[in-house]
Amino acid sequence: MFDKILIANRGEIALRVLRACKELGIATVAVHSTADEDAMHVRLADESVCIGPPAAKDSYLNIPALLAACEISGADAVHPGYGFLSENARFAEILTEHNVHFIGPRPEHIRLMGDKIAAKRAAKELGIPVVPGSDGDVGSEAHAQRLGREIGYPLMLKAAAGGGGRGMRVVTEESQLASALASARNEAKAAFGDDTLYVEKYLTRPRHIEIQVLGDGKGGAIHLGERDCSLQRRHQKVWEEGPSPALNSSTRDEIGETVAKAMRAIKYLGVGTVEFLYENGKFYFIEMNTRIQVEHPVTEMITDIDLILEQVRVAAGGGLQLTQDELKFHGHAIECRINAENPVSFRPSPGKIVHYHPPGGLGVRVDSAVYHGYTIPPYYDSLVGKLIVHGKTRSECLMRLKRALDEFVVEGIETTLPLFRALAREKDVIDGQYHIHWLEEFLAGSGLPE
Amino acid sequence: MPRKSDSSGTPAIDHEAIRELAKLLDETGLTEIAVERAGVSIRVARHSGGGLGRARTESAVSTPVASTPLPVDPAQHPGVVASPMVGTAYLAPEPGARPFVEIGTVVKAGEPLMIIEAMKTMNQIPAPRPGTVIQILVDDGQPVEYGQPLMIIE
Repeated sequence: MFDKILIANRGEIALRVLRACKELGIATVAVHSTADEDAMHVRLADESVCIGPPAAKDSYLNIPALLAACEISGADAVHPGYGFLSENARFAEILTEHNVHFIGPRPEHIRLMGDKIAAKRAAKELGIPVVPGSDGDVGSEAHAQRLGREIGYPLMLKAAAGGGGRGMRVVTEESQLASALASARNEAKAAFGDDTLYVEKYLTRPRHIEIQVLGDGKGGAIHLGERDCSLQRRHQKVWEEGPSPALNSSTRDEIGETVAKAMRAIKYLGVGTVEFLYENGKFYFIEMNTRIQVEHPVTEMITDIDLILEQVRVAAGGGLQLTQDELKFHGHAIECRINAENPVSFRPSPGKIVHYHPPGGLGVRVDSAVYHGYTIPPYYDSLVGKLIVHGKTRSECLMRLKRALDEFVVEGIETTLPLFRALAREKDVIDGQYHIHWLEEFLAGSGLPE
Repeated sequence: MPRKSDSSGTPAIDHEAIRELAKLLDETGLTEIAVERAGVSIRVARHSGGGLGRARTESAVSTPVASTPLPVDPAQHPGVVASPMVGTAYLAPEPGARPFVEIGTVVKAGEPLMIIEAMKTMNQIPAPRPGTVIQILVDDGQPVEYGQPLMIIE
């Protein structure tokens, strides 16, 4: 087991990782920018190292500074959290070259799944159902036109180097194709340094359903069920729940086993999430994330498994603690990502939190690094915290969520709490009848109650 | 007691405060007292020939700083040299050699003050401005973080 873990991240996930380390008795090193000197996880860590000025590229993305921090602190492992360098294969390799463990998958798998075209090809070979589309770069306009006629409109153009909801564009008919291709290529080049595009059938009203996996790197892997993350705004997840209201246990077992089998075949190490669009009873692979995800607590609440702890354990060479048959799901969990944004305009609202009272009680969990008097810096994402609620049934969970949301006080900044209070009372959400466009349609149609 | 400003907007001279400080100087036998409050600093000093030196009032918009080394937080001192990187500080070019600078050394801008080593690469830390080294805040071989005060050069 590791002696000392350096947490190469910030905010709520850094605190989450710190908590797991403390429970494992592992010493912690918190690295931070000058803007995060007062962060909760920095205060709680055994050691802290300031690694740079506020800008992420000079601090949390600064590989030399992170390596130097490992050196002076004597950390033998790094946990990269999510975002930042968590899916940077080069970072994983450099750490290994310096005899520091990277808590995550092997670089080859990070690379494979980071290239969305290669990932799709690999998924197909491993028996995972994929969205019909181009097998590789969409190529010339003529080739794209041919594909369009084969697959049928509407189509989605996607950047191969994109992901996480970025670098995507819908084309509704052939006449739009040429200009869409040109501008999508330009955008991709500017945003990701790579203008390779692939094309996929655009599903009109799918759900986003993802499967959590855990592999020991030696050919053993299990799935930990699904999360339904259909409620999104601009491709960013807002509300996640598990189990999905749309799946029954046999569908779950089937897709779960398909994914777990694929992970065993590639001897995947660590946690990962295989994301699908689900429409008319069919699953379509979109991408795999080779890291811990923001919404991992949903799975933790319904399986009683500490995913960060499992990540650390398998990274240190441990085996899986339980078999697929031993894994049991119980109850229902919902997570709301609360952002420091105006709940109607979504304009960011960084600043000082003058009153803070998080909800509590049975089945209520708040994963947040915020505290009374804390100032949210303007340099990073606007996540205030995650409210995760568990109930024995989905109805109980929804009641508890409403109660917890109503109790939650964050004053001094604007937050999206009012949005969640409205969603928890919306018929379609209560019925579980939604899809990936539902939230944007809701926001465009209704106004929020003032 | 609120101060009245003159029409130019600069605070009026607080005669009473200066008299108070001068009295305090006499009573305590100190050679110098400086006080900063609400953006205004006053320094009263006794010159070696006896008698009181002239009192000076400075108004400042931002935090005023004493012009001589008072026991302030080193990070706030205007002459502080802060570390631009994470690593291990070494005060001499190699083990056993004389240190780059010592207290009292006069340096030109760009002269090496120390080395910070990270991942086997040695990075010389240059003096950002000319002046005299008045404080060395790290020990040889001490790990340092970004922004950590290393030295004070006046």
